[in-house]
Amino acid sequence: MAISPSASGVSGANALASSLRSYARDHAVHLLVIAVLAAYPGVYAVAVNSPFSAEAVALLPRVETMVAVLYFGLFAVSFDFVSGYTGYLSFGHATFYGVGAYLVVLTANGKIPLLPASTPFVLLLVLGGLLAVVFAVIIGAVSFRLSGVYFAMITLGFSQVLYVFVRDWGYLGSNPRDGVAVTGRTEGFEIGVPGVDSLSLAVGQLTGDTVELLGVVHLTAAEVSYYMVGIVVLVCYFAMQRVVHSPFGRTLVAIRENEERARAIGYNTFYYKLGAFAISAFFAGIAGGLFAGYRRSVTPESGFYFLTTGDALLASIIGGFGTLAGPLYGHLFDEGVREFLSKGGSGGGLLPYLRENVGQGTMETVVYNGMTVGETIDVFLNGRAALYVGVVFVLFVLYVPNGLLGTVRDRLILSDRDD
Amino acid sequence: MTSVVLALSPFADGIPLFLDALGAFFRPSTLFGVLVDGLAKAALYVMIASGLTLIFGLMGVLNFAHGSVTMVGAYLGGLVMVLLVSQETGDPTRLLAFLLGVVVVFTALAALGGLLEMGLIRPIYDRPPLSQILLTFGLTLILDEFARIVVSFYGLQPISEWQAALATKPAALGQRHDLVVASVSGLKLFEIACGILTVVVIWAFLTRTRYGLYVRAGSEDSEMAAALGVNVRRVFTVVFALGTGLAGVAGVLLAWDQSWGASVPLAVETLLPAFVVVIIGGLGTFRGTVAAGLLVGLIDATMTWWFQNAIAFTGLPEMTIFLVLVVVLVVRPQGLFGVEEVGGH
Amino acid sequence: MSLLSVEAVHTYYGDSHILEGVSLEVDSGEVVALVGRNGVGKTTTLRTIMQLTPPSKGRVRLRGEDITGTDTHDVADAGVGWIPENRRIFSQLTVEENVHVAVPEGRDVDAARERAYETFPDLREHRYRDGGTLSGGQQQMLAIARGLVGDNDLLLVDEPSEGLAPLIVSAVADALAATAAETTVLLVEQNLPLALDLADRFYVLDDGRIVDSGETSEVEESDERLRRYLSA
Repeated sequence: MAISPSASGVSGANALASSLRSYARDHAVHLLVIAVLAAYPGVYAVAVNSPFSAEAVALLPRVETMVAVLYFGLFAVSFDFVSGYTGYLSFGHATFYGVGAYLVVLTANGKIPLLPASTPFVLLLVLGGLLAVVFAVIIGAVSFRLSGVYFAMITLGFSQVLYVFVRDWGYLGSNPRDGVAVTGRTEGFEIGVPGVDSLSLAVGQLTGDTVELLGVVHLTAAEVSYYMVGIVVLVCYFAMQRVVHSPFGRTLVAIRENEERARAIGYNTFYYKLGAFAISAFFAGIAGGLFAGYRRSVTPESGFYFLTTGDALLASIIGGFGTLAGPLYGHLFDEGVREFLSKGGSGGGLLPYLRENVGQGTMETVVYNGMTVGETIDVFLNGRAALYVGVVFVLFVLYVPNGLLGTVRDRLILSDRDD
Repeated sequence: MTSVVLALSPFADGIPLFLDALGAFFRPSTLFGVLVDGLAKAALYVMIASGLTLIFGLMGVLNFAHGSVTMVGAYLGGLVMVLLVSQETGDPTRLLAFLLGVVVVFTALAALGGLLEMGLIRPIYDRPPLSQILLTFGLTLILDEFARIVVSFYGLQPISEWQAALATKPAALGQRHDLVVASVSGLKLFEIACGILTVVVIWAFLTRTRYGLYVRAGSEDSEMAAALGVNVRRVFTVVFALGTGLAGVAGVLLAWDQSWGASVPLAVETLLPAFVVVIIGGLGTFRGTVAAGLLVGLIDATMTWWFQNAIAFTGLPEMTIFLVLVVVLVVRPQGLFGVEEVGGH
Repeated sequence: MSLLSVEAVHTYYGDSHILEGVSLEVDSGEVVALVGRNGVGKTTTLRTIMQLTPPSKGRVRLRGEDITGTDTHDVADAGVGWIPENRRIFSQLTVEENVHVAVPEGRDVDAARERAYETFPDLREHRYRDGGTLSGGQQQMLAIARGLVGDNDLLLVDEPSEGLAPLIVSAVADALAATAAETTVLLVEQNLPLALDLADRFYVLDDGRIVDSGETSEVEESDERLRRYLSA
């Protein structure tokens, strides 16, 4: 994308035109993606009532799942923001997600001094983000003295200490090992302008608001949650995108490419890295808050645990490490496969589809050694998404190191050069 | 942290209780018990971690799949023993079954490790070190889920310990034996013996064999070793195979230990302590791994005693171990015995 | 047929083009010096021959056989020894073990060691010490000894006098002269008097290209012909 400084006048103008084109296209892509995401609940509703209902239910993620894609996608994006852009693998990133999530749930249960249980959710999200920043500054100040594997390990160490802590600290709830649920607050967590009821809508599976507009638009609780969470995620994404395209973001990339050189040019790389870590933690905290607000509960495993970071890593690699938006698509893929192969089979996926649409005879046909088709599917497919996602992950590391979005972008840039 | 202390009710109830505990802790029988317990834990930690450290030292690959290999080893070894041992089988035969399990597991998993290295890891040595972490992380997802499939297929609960494998333990290991000032469990003594044997065997391999010499030379400067005619790539494959084989062997022993046991979560339960031990010792130094294993084992045993007897915080041992990791990395990033600049960028 | 022939090799480090078509020949029994300023690609030339940094274009032949793109250990097995800059002794291996690594598989290790100790009696004295505890001169002796025990027909020697006190340099020079009597040497050396003294022929490398070559008997170190490429 860089415009060569030595370009002559004519090719300079060409380069300018091409960079303008690519700018317009970048934003066209953004608009397109936003439009598709905004239309999704409607498309889903139409599709499941169409003649291809069974196929649509089996293949398309439910709107509830898409809410999870959004908030966890934001967490994965924030992980990528620091790991993909600076090259420092933040293996304890779940800490910040957990901090945001626990703050929401504990405040709602009146466990946080000075914060009333009825604190507006939007304020809690920001406070969760800021608390995550505090953690990030403390952890980062120590950890950024190290690099490579050691950095990954010390951040992992911090997050595991905190994981054990929230898992076993009796103050948090009656049975902290199983997590903490919101018990002290019956009203929903509202996203919007605090204090203005007409401009706020509650999220949540059971406590979410529904919307009726002019008798034409009917939005279920899941759809309302989807749009409200989506707005927050969108704002956060654009904020991070601004940072990435700012001089600050370019310095981060310079650090990733060659930290020695960045230092030699005169950048205090330590503060840049710490800054990136703090920013990333802020958005991870918000993502955690959204998660807790929507689910109204949190477990030590869903925040703080290192495999939660692992899920973000998975999303980043499949979507594209260092592409910012990529992890969102990566996580969509992950959740999509998981739901398609879900064990329970409620709300769509392969199993209910087969049960309803394939004859009993086929399902009971013996494949091998007394095992029927149905049992084979049950053993090797249902609930086995991790296996297939793992295989895809390994294939991506080996053959698609730039991930989905990175590869698409490379193709586009190449075709841009060709014309 | 003050709020933690306040929340720990026995702690808050009074200093006298704490002093009582302190007195009880320094009784010879307690100290001896904690020592044996700590050495047994240390033996397990060293067994779990030594393959990891060999692989990292030579290739710079932090193998995230290491714990999964231990888990597979536990199941495979458990299977061998369950097949060979019935209720009436005597102790010597049970030990023989264990030995056979070790041989089978080592062979099978070393072969698996060799294949993985040649097929998947070799193509990406020249990529940034993160790629190898990512690749092996992907392998854990696959291995763990695969194990879950196979185990559930045979009607076992993947998340709880495999009781049938635990039951193949010789009776003598299940009992307590009087030793010096306290009675200690036979299994702990057996674990200590296995740990010592493992350390001796690896040490002899590294210092007394030609391949061991190549491993040490290659760990320090693989380019120079290649220029002196050492087929470094073959050494990589062999060490990866040995490392995964060792991880599996540790699993066979864990299949007998009630507090571990063959289960799918064993993969994560062993991976994290293995990381801690390897990092504290200094990535890639075998000597450091042994020392760190002892340190972590003894701390773990001490903290376990305190949690059982004085401080009602279940996570105390685990949290202390990770705190030690963080503190060591802060104070001495290259680990206790590590050389600087290994494992950085 | 030359023992070693390097034919128009181009070698890159990442994006930097280091060697831009280097060609040189070394015949059996010769000592050939490769001289030039810092950073012109002398070390890279040796690394390219060892296939540690394989060339992107051009060929490297050993006894006429193309070795371009083969593994480094195969080059070593074919009888090429590399005595690198900074010596790169295995610091945590003893002197004995350092020598042992260099002995080809299947050869008598004790006999090989004995040969090394006869050439460098100092090493016998320190054989149980870790390589890292040796002095610079001793490390250089050990590095040369590793080259000797490898059954090599050709030794690539990189800056053997670098960082050594003058007295030690002369001892190293003697060791090299003794080595050169037995085998063929391609020598990279900043110390021009030493290089001209040891070598039969020379090549001058500048900015990734060979710019001059000839017999050492034709030139003196003060010659304009050499000085323009060597003084900074």
